[in-house]
Amino acid sequence: MITTKNISKNFGSFQALQDVSFEINRGEIVGFLGLNGAGKTTLMRILTSYLPASSGTVLIDGENIVENSLAIRQKIGYLPESPPLYSNMSVKDYLKFAAEIKGIPASQRKVQLNRVVEECQLGDVTHKTIATLSKGYKQRTGIAQAIIHQPKILILDEPTSGLDPVQNLQLRNLIKNLKDERTIIISTHILSEIEQIAQRVLIIRAGKIIVDDSLESLLNSGAGASTESEALSLEEIFINLHGDQSVTQFG
Amino acid sequence: MDKAFFIAKKELASYFKSPVAYIILVLAISIFNFFFFMIIDHNQEASLRDVFRVMEFIFVFLAPLLTMRVFSEEKLTGTMEFLMTAPVSNTAIVLGKYAGVLVFFTIMVSLTFVYYGLIEYFGSPDASATFTGYFGVWLEGAFFIAIGLMASSWTRNQIVAAMTSYMIIFFLYFSTNLTKFFEGAAATFFQQISTTNHLENLVIGIVTIGDVTYYLSGILFCVVLTRLSIENRLS
Repeated sequence: MITTKNISKNFGSFQALQDVSFEINRGEIVGFLGLNGAGKTTLMRILTSYLPASSGTVLIDGENIVENSLAIRQKIGYLPESPPLYSNMSVKDYLKFAAEIKGIPASQRKVQLNRVVEECQLGDVTHKTIATLSKGYKQRTGIAQAIIHQPKILILDEPTSGLDPVQNLQLRNLIKNLKDERTIIISTHILSEIEQIAQRVLIIRAGKIIVDDSLESLLNSGAGASTESEALSLEEIFINLHGDQSVTQFG
Repeated sequence: MDKAFFIAKKELASYFKSPVAYIILVLAISIFNFFFFMIIDHNQEASLRDVFRVMEFIFVFLAPLLTMRVFSEEKLTGTMEFLMTAPVSNTAIVLGKYAGVLVFFTIMVSLTFVYYGLIEYFGSPDASATFTGYFGVWLEGAFFIAIGLMASSWTRNQIVAAMTSYMIIFFLYFSTNLTKFFEGAAATFFQQISTTNHLENLVIGIVTIGDVTYYLSGILFCVVLTRLSIENRLS
């Protein structure tokens, strides 16, 4: 469904991504993990065709995202790191606008709007101005715009930041409910969340993919473990893989 | 292109959701009213000719205020990412936003139609010259707005956007004053790019292809540059 071949991205002399290649199949939930600045957001921005890659190709459903950008964007729902909200609009107006520009037919707009309001539990705030909402509501409004056009692919950049534990659980359930129909890519710092929802993990370090494995085999392999018999949590594996950096930076 | 329409609608609505729209409308109309009275009182003539010249001068200051937020704000708040990853072409984004500002500007100009009603009631003005004058003033405003739109697409800082468009518009508006320092081709150049020179014929009722082409090509130039500049995602 999503195939990337040798993607690199340079910002001036800084190389944000180097030779990133992977394939994601329909219906998979994939977690992008990495430290701040590892290139997760850049990679997501390339997949959503917000940024062009410096070299390499991205194919979605076999189509090149540079050549068929508009058709492919129709299939993708994207929540950037900070939810892209118009603070002077009400939640309802904002979602209506999102429905309009995402090409939902006029007859369907109301149905879809009501669906996402219900799914993201925004019923209490639909008439409130976005600027006055709490962070959790803002985040959920951001998720609502990402799923309003029922995209086949959902790309969520740190969707759980700013949510309280209950909302967190609700979001995980929402993602689990969506997964039958959709391919979901999610990036987060909270590794325990990935353990609960993702089937597959891509660990990005300094612009390169250092681990591309199913969650199960990664946990069983004990990558980065000092002794082989140890059963490690994802968090321990992650920290081991970045061991040298945590020593130099914080040791 | 229906998406350009939705963007225009949103753009227009965003003016009226903040106090800015009302402040600009009240300010502009108050200034127009004041000068309308002064000019009619002074000239004792049923003509809006000089009123158009004042309107043109006021637009020099108003257009950047209207347009400075159009792209800058979206870049700053990150909503640009929302627009550019939605299935909307860049052309539709630029045209939609331009149309949104133009509609607001048209509302502002149309509030002054009452002046024609007044001079028509008390005198016998030249209807066609008034019409071409409005056409010229509207074209000029549309050109200034295109310049402001372009400047706004260059930066995420609204103040920088406004200052940049002031610089460009001032240069175009006052360039006719530079002709006396130059000779030959340079003098003709400053004469020709001056917006005031191109409005002159229109306010007295003469429509020439040259003047209309000047405004339309200026608008097209700025809109195309805006379209190119929003491709650059990080600025």
